[in-house]
Amino acid sequence: MTEPTATGPTVTGPTVAVGAEVPPLERTIGLRDMIAYAGATWDWHRLHYDPEYLEERRLPAPVVDGQVFGALLVEQLQDWLGPRAVVRRLHFRFKNLVFAGDTVRCTGRVTAVDGDTVTVEQRIVVVDGDEPERAAVEPAGAEVVLRVPEER
Amino acid sequence: MSLLTDEIRALIGREVSYTAPEELGRAAIRYYARAVGDDNPLYTDEAYARRHGYDGIIAPPTLICETNQYADLPPDADGYAGHDWHIDIPGTRKVRGGNTYTFHRPVRPGDVITATWRVTDVAERRTSGGQEMLIVSSVADYTDQEGRPLVTNEETIIYVALKEER
Repeated sequence: MTEPTATGPTVTGPTVAVGAEVPPLERTIGLRDMIAYAGATWDWHRLHYDPEYLEERRLPAPVVDGQVFGALLVEQLQDWLGPRAVVRRLHFRFKNLVFAGDTVRCTGRVTAVDGDTVTVEQRIVVVDGDEPERAAVEPAGAEVVLRVPEER
Repeated sequence: MSLLTDEIRALIGREVSYTAPEELGRAAIRYYARAVGDDNPLYTDEAYARRHGYDGIIAPPTLICETNQYADLPPDADGYAGHDWHIDIPGTRKVRGGNTYTFHRPVRPGDVITATWRVTDVAERRTSGGQEMLIVSSVADYTDQEGRPLVTNEETIIYVALKEER
């Protein structure tokens, strides 16, 4: 590990230093989005759309497939760092269920920079106007390698 | 009564493998990116991907950790058509714990994926509220048609004992 204040490569894109904030990614996940995700992943579990199934289990609304949050955490990092970023490792733990219609916000912060490898911690909360945020996914985080851009 | 029975303990080391009947395909990649709402051109724009050091478009990293298309199993009563250990523990509720993905190389449309799942551990714990729970840890190794590693997915599934009252 290099100095805790080390800065990674800055050939293009944002400066990546310990403490830097990853720009938040916010997304409202509607039932239509959930149906699309279920289709794209061949996952037709009734938990994600079927009112009868949900009522039997006293769930208030269709439950968002947790794995979609992995995709959002990667998207948040790649939107920030661009095509030179390669996510090498991603971890996340589920805290609370997220339901159809909820708006989630992914946040993050750089915790280490070692050569071309950037470590970030991330978190996903459900936001609802003035209501207190509800943790959906935490802890979470990633290791990202920043490649030197090669023009072809 | 312990949730960690001999039968459950015997699951450790159990392994099952699924190989996709076909290549992943460009449509599957574009569909996934669109379903997630991720407009990163690395997933859809061949020229853009080449300009940034790839041999063509790549799949969003988490795609193959999730898709049931290579399991090719019939849906169960709940409509689920993917890999499952079919662990039935009466009086418990099954919830997802979390995942750790390690991405070894980008996945390309021409890759034919094999997923090999293995139970690595089962452990008994108590929730902060005092409920008994059983934690089943598995690992899935995703490999390509040459047997080279693509992704490793460590997953925990938790079975929480239901409270007595209804």
